[in-house]
Amino acid sequence: MTRWRWAGTRASGLRLRLVLAFALLGVTTTAVVASVSYVQARTVILQLAQDAEVASLTDQIAKLYPVVNLPPTQEDLDLMAQRLSDRDGYAVVRYRDLRGQGAQVRAPLTPEVQAAVADGRIAWQRVSRDGVPTLLIGTQLRIERPDGSSVPSGLEVYSVRSLASEQRSIDRLATYAWLTGGLSLILAVLLALLAARGVLRPVRELGQAARRLGEGDLSTRLTVRGVDELADVARTFNDTAGRLERQVGELRRMEADARRFVADVSHELRTPLAAMTAVTDVLDEEADRLPGDAGRAARLVSQETQSLTQLVNDLIEVSRFDSGTARLALDDIDVAAAVTATLRVRGWAERVRTELPPGVVARLDPRRLDVIVANLVGNAFRHGAEPVSVRLSAEEDWITIEVSDHGPGLDQQVLPHVFDRFYKADTARTRSEGSGLGLAIAWENARLHRRAGQSGRLVAGNAPTGGAVFTLRLPRLASDTADEAGVR
Amino acid sequence: MSGRRALLVAVGLLFALLATGCGVRPSEVINGRPAVTGPSEGTGIYLIADGQVALVIRQTKTPSPPLSPAATLALLAKGASETERSAGLTSEVPADLVPADVGPTVDGPGVTVTVAGAVLPLSPLAADQLVCTVADAVARTAQGTSFAPVTLVGPDGTRPARTCPLA
Repeated sequence: MTRWRWAGTRASGLRLRLVLAFALLGVTTTAVVASVSYVQARTVILQLAQDAEVASLTDQIAKLYPVVNLPPTQEDLDLMAQRLSDRDGYAVVRYRDLRGQGAQVRAPLTPEVQAAVADGRIAWQRVSRDGVPTLLIGTQLRIERPDGSSVPSGLEVYSVRSLASEQRSIDRLATYAWLTGGLSLILAVLLALLAARGVLRPVRELGQAARRLGEGDLSTRLTVRGVDELADVARTFNDTAGRLERQVGELRRMEADARRFVADVSHELRTPLAAMTAVTDVLDEEADRLPGDAGRAARLVSQETQSLTQLVNDLIEVSRFDSGTARLALDDIDVAAAVTATLRVRGWAERVRTELPPGVVARLDPRRLDVIVANLVGNAFRHGAEPVSVRLSAEEDWITIEVSDHGPGLDQQVLPHVFDRFYKADTARTRSEGSGLGLAIAWENARLHRRAGQSGRLVAGNAPTGGAVFTLRLPRLASDTADEAGVR
Repeated sequence: MSGRRALLVAVGLLFALLATGCGVRPSEVINGRPAVTGPSEGTGIYLIADGQVALVIRQTKTPSPPLSPAATLALLAKGASETERSAGLTSEVPADLVPADVGPTVDGPGVTVTVAGAVLPLSPLAADQLVCTVADAVARTAQGTSFAPVTLVGPDGTRPARTCPLA
């Protein structure tokens, strides 16, 4: 859900921009084309209408000739005006102060038209009369003489025609223009959405693939479609992912090789060590009787052989964890009894303060619990200071074993590395009594106990009163790591 | 950002222009062909209206042939009729000017009108009335053209030749 919303918000920016750009382009183009053709069409319509009206008026005026009576009477003027009027318009015929009119309304004669008519030309003008576009045409009536010249008769004819039907035609044009604009807007938006989908889908796929790669799925590949820039990006992504996968595989293989080598070496060392241990046992018995340096040497050899055996055993244990072959041997045990037994076997029962409430039963691997507790207590003795205490507490699903000492505690710089293999807290001390793997093995053992997706934990810290505190937390009903959906 | 805003403003202006430029707009005056002309029937004489000569057409009993220039001048000398006066037309031609004789000018183009009365005291408008009426009559009777110069000759002298100021 969040992933989709993320993709959605990111995509909407690009989509919005594409839609806006397309819409703007489409609308602007349509607006320019439509307005230019609208203006052209309007000009043509009006010109045609005006020319037709002028032609029709001159034709009708021609029927008024010959002029037989000048100056005309009012009746003459009215008759002429009536003959020139029809249902589309009406005429006004003037002779000086006289005026004959084909309609009862006042004609909107503009001074400009009257001036042009006085100049002896046919003149027309579009005016708006109460919101109705009206065409006003005016002309003089001139009297022709046989020699071709003419004189003004003093008669002027003005025709007033409504342009409502032309207005309707032009309005229809405008409606079509707006409609075209709207359709082109819709089309542009649709095209933009289509284009956005074409661009955004590869981008979204790329984002998802990159996320999967980041989450560790190195086999993630994209389907390369087409030959555009996005396909290039997809191809580059695939190449990069492939190289990454190869290199990581190589590293893993090398690491596995190294681990296998350690495991093999450890195993190979076990047989000679067994023989050496047998020999050093004999040497130990004889050491007291050997004089001086020979006795010390015999004891040293015996001691180092024991350390070496311990180291090899620890290495074998560690390599089992690394190879994932470590398995729990679960058993229902009384935890207090198990801890007590561990301490007693090591001979620490008297030196350790215990706080072990009886009756805490848990399903654990008893051997691994023994290893952990022995490591922690031994560590406390070696690096901390007595008194060392072991405290057991139990919750419904988890048990907690706390091992604390009263030494100086752990340095803050040491704390994050305390479970690292062969980590030496004190660099000056080149040789320690332990193998350097004890805490690492204890940590791995704790982790091996799992329950419902949560693994056991071993945490190092310092008590507020000073002294190191190791807290072991194990599930009461542990199951094997391998049973938990194989997650390592 | 400012470019985008400018673009939006431009688009807005375009739409405003489109919205307001619709329909049939009022126009300037458009001038077309010269005014309509046509024939007349009757005798044309020139009277005065609003300080200039104006054509008046009178019905004659015999439509054809048209009246001779001399007869037309006689008609003019009788002055404006009742109807014409009520329409604001007057005449400044004195009645004692006729009879008149119209003939071609001897030493030049045009026609010469020899009248009975004095021509020098005539007002310029009266002279124009005579000139235009004669030119019109001459053109109708095919004795000359309407734009020919007309010389007025009376017993007191001669007025310089003149053409009708109307067209």
